[in-house]
Amino acid sequence: MADRIFAGILFLVAIGYTIVAFTVIKAPFQYDPLGPESWPRILGIVALPCILFIFARPDVSRLGVPVRTWGRLAALVVMLWAYAFLFQPLGFILATFAFCMALSLMLGARLVSALVFSGAVGVLGYFVCTKLLEINLPAGVLTIFR
Amino acid sequence: MDAVFSGLASGFQVALDPFNLFLVLGGCFAGTLIGALPGIGPINGVAILLPIAYGLGFPPESAIILLAGIYYGAEYGGRISSILLNVPGDAGAVMTTLDGNPMARNGEAGKALSLSAVASFVGGTFAVVLMSFFGPALASYAIHFSPSDYVALMVFAFASLASLVGSNPVKTLLAALMGLMLASIGIDANTGVARYTFGIPDLLAGIDFLVVVIGLFGMAELITLVEKQATGTLKTLKIDKSFVTLKDIAFVKWTILRGSVIGFFIGILPGTGASVASAVAYGAEKRSASDSSKFGEGDMRGLAAPEAANNAAAGGAMVPMLTLGIPGSGTTAILLGALMLFNVTPGPLMFEQRPEIAWGLIASMYIGNIALLIINLPLVGLFARMLTIPQQFLTPLIAVLAFIGVYSVVSNPHDLYMITLLGVFGWFLRKLQFSLAPVILGFVLGGLFEDNLRRALSISNGDYTILVESMNSVVLYALAVLVVVAPLVIARRRKKMRDEADHGETA
Repeated sequence: MADRIFAGILFLVAIGYTIVAFTVIKAPFQYDPLGPESWPRILGIVALPCILFIFARPDVSRLGVPVRTWGRLAALVVMLWAYAFLFQPLGFILATFAFCMALSLMLGARLVSALVFSGAVGVLGYFVCTKLLEINLPAGVLTIFR
Repeated sequence: MDAVFSGLASGFQVALDPFNLFLVLGGCFAGTLIGALPGIGPINGVAILLPIAYGLGFPPESAIILLAGIYYGAEYGGRISSILLNVPGDAGAVMTTLDGNPMARNGEAGKALSLSAVASFVGGTFAVVLMSFFGPALASYAIHFSPSDYVALMVFAFASLASLVGSNPVKTLLAALMGLMLASIGIDANTGVARYTFGIPDLLAGIDFLVVVIGLFGMAELITLVEKQATGTLKTLKIDKSFVTLKDIAFVKWTILRGSVIGFFIGILPGTGASVASAVAYGAEKRSASDSSKFGEGDMRGLAAPEAANNAAAGGAMVPMLTLGIPGSGTTAILLGALMLFNVTPGPLMFEQRPEIAWGLIASMYIGNIALLIINLPLVGLFARMLTIPQQFLTPLIAVLAFIGVYSVVSNPHDLYMITLLGVFGWFLRKLQFSLAPVILGFVLGGLFEDNLRRALSISNGDYTILVESMNSVVLYALAVLVVVAPLVIARRRKKMRDEADHGETA
C-alpha cells in the first residue's frame, strides 16, 4: 500500500512534468534538431511506465513506523524548520543552542549535559568556523561577535 | 609508459607539497573518525563534509585531495563499527559484519581489526597502482569518443546501475530518472529557456548540487537516526590484545588478492561501487573455499575478502570518474560534482589539461593508503571510542554540520528549507527501498547526458541513426544489454538447478 501511495504521488508529479514538457517549454527560435523540450519529454515518457510498473507490482506494503515514531519524526521536522527559520535572524549561536537543546532532550539527554553540549556546539562551532576556518555564519542578534 | 611515470612524478610533487600532505593526512584522519560513527558510511560522511571543504576556499587540487582522503578514510573507518558493533555504515560494509563481528565476539577483535586494515591496504593500493596505468590509457582512448559514443556510455552506465544496484531494478531506474529530472530544472544553457522554474528566481540557476547531496544523504540519514532512536550508547565489544600475525596474512594472501581483483574491476563498472564488489568477493570466496562451513562464524577469509574488495572498488570507481567523467559509484558521483563546483570537468582531457588535479589525486591516494595503514594499526582504539558518542548528541551534531555546510556556500536561508524537504523525500525513498546513489548519479550526469544527445543529433542534423553508427557505441549498447540480461539468465538457471535438485530429492 505504501508503495502504491508513493507511486500515485509520483505519477501525478511525472504527469505534470511530462505535460509541461509537451506544452509549456518552447524555445522562441532554434536551429538544433532537439530543443529544450525534447529531453524532459524523453524522461517523462520513460518514467511513466516505470511508475505504473511499481503501481502494478508494489513490493513494500507498509512502512512499519509506529505512531509514536511518527510523532517524533514530525517533531524533528518542526525543529529543523524552526532552526532554518531562526538561523539568520537569531544568529548561529542562539539558534544552534536552541535546536541542540530541543533535539538532544527529545532523544533523552539529561538537562545538565544537554546544556553543556548545546552551549559548547553553539559557541565553539561559531568561533571555530568564523575565526579559524573563515566560514561565513550569521551573527544575528549577537552583533558584538561579528 | 613514460607518460605514467612522469605523470606520477608530477603528481607526487603536488601531493607532497606540505599543505596538500597535511590535507591528505587530515582528510584520512577525519574520514576514519566519521566513518567509525555508527551507521554513517562513506557517502554520508563525504556529503556532510563536502560543503565545508568547498567553503574553505582551497585551490581545486587541494580540495579534491582532502575529499578523496575523507572518502578513503571513511571506507577504513566503516569496518570499525561493522566489526565492533555489528552496525554497517553503508551497504558496502554489510559483508564485513558477517565474519568480522563473530571474530570480535570470539575474542579476536584486535586481530579482526588489524587483519581488515591490512586487507584494506592491499586492496586500496592494488587499485591505485592499476589505476595509474589503466587510467591514462583509457583516457587517451576516450579522447576520441564522439557525442553519440557518450550517449551510449551513459545508457550503459544506467543499465548497469539498474541491473546491479538495489533489489528492484525498476525502482533503481526510477531513482536515476528522478535525479535526471531534478537536474533538468533551471535555465537550459543552449537556448536560455527556463524549465520547471515556475517563476521562482531561486530555481533559475537550477537546484544546487550541494543542496541535493546534503539533503538526500546528510538529512535523510539524520531522520533515519531519529527514527531508530538509539538512545544512550551502543554496546561495543572490547578491543583485546590479539593482533594479526604473518601466519594469518600468509593464510589469506590469495583471498586478499582475489578480493582486490574482483573489487577493482567491479568498481570500474559505472554505477556499481563497493556494495556489489564486496558481496561478489564474499560469495566467490565462500564458494571456492574447500571448507566453507565456518563462514559466518568468524572465518578470516570471510573478513579479508570483502574488505580488500570494497577498498579496491573505491579505487576502481575513481577510474571512470577521472577518465570518462562517469562516476563509478554514488560517492564518486559526489566527488565528480565537487570537481564541477570548481569548474573542472573530469573526463579524458583532464589528464592533459589539469594534470595537477588528475595526477595529484592519484599520488595522494598512494600516500593516503600508507597513512591509513599506519594510523589505523595503533590508533584503532581512539577511533573505536567514536562508537561510544551518545546518540542524543551525535544526531543534533549532524544537523548542525549540514546547516553550517549549506549556509556557508551561498548564505541563502532558502537552502536550509530545501535540505529539510529533500531530507524528508530521501527518507521516504529509503523506507520504500529505493537506493539513493542512483538519484545522485542521475543528477550529476543529467546535464552531460542531455548535452551529448543534443550535440550528436545536431551533428547528424536530426538523424537518429548517428547514435548507432560508430563501433564504440554498438559495443557499449551490446554491453548494456548483456549487463541487464546476464543476471536474469543466471538467476533463472540457478533456480532451475535448484528446482531439479529438489525434484531429485523428493522423487
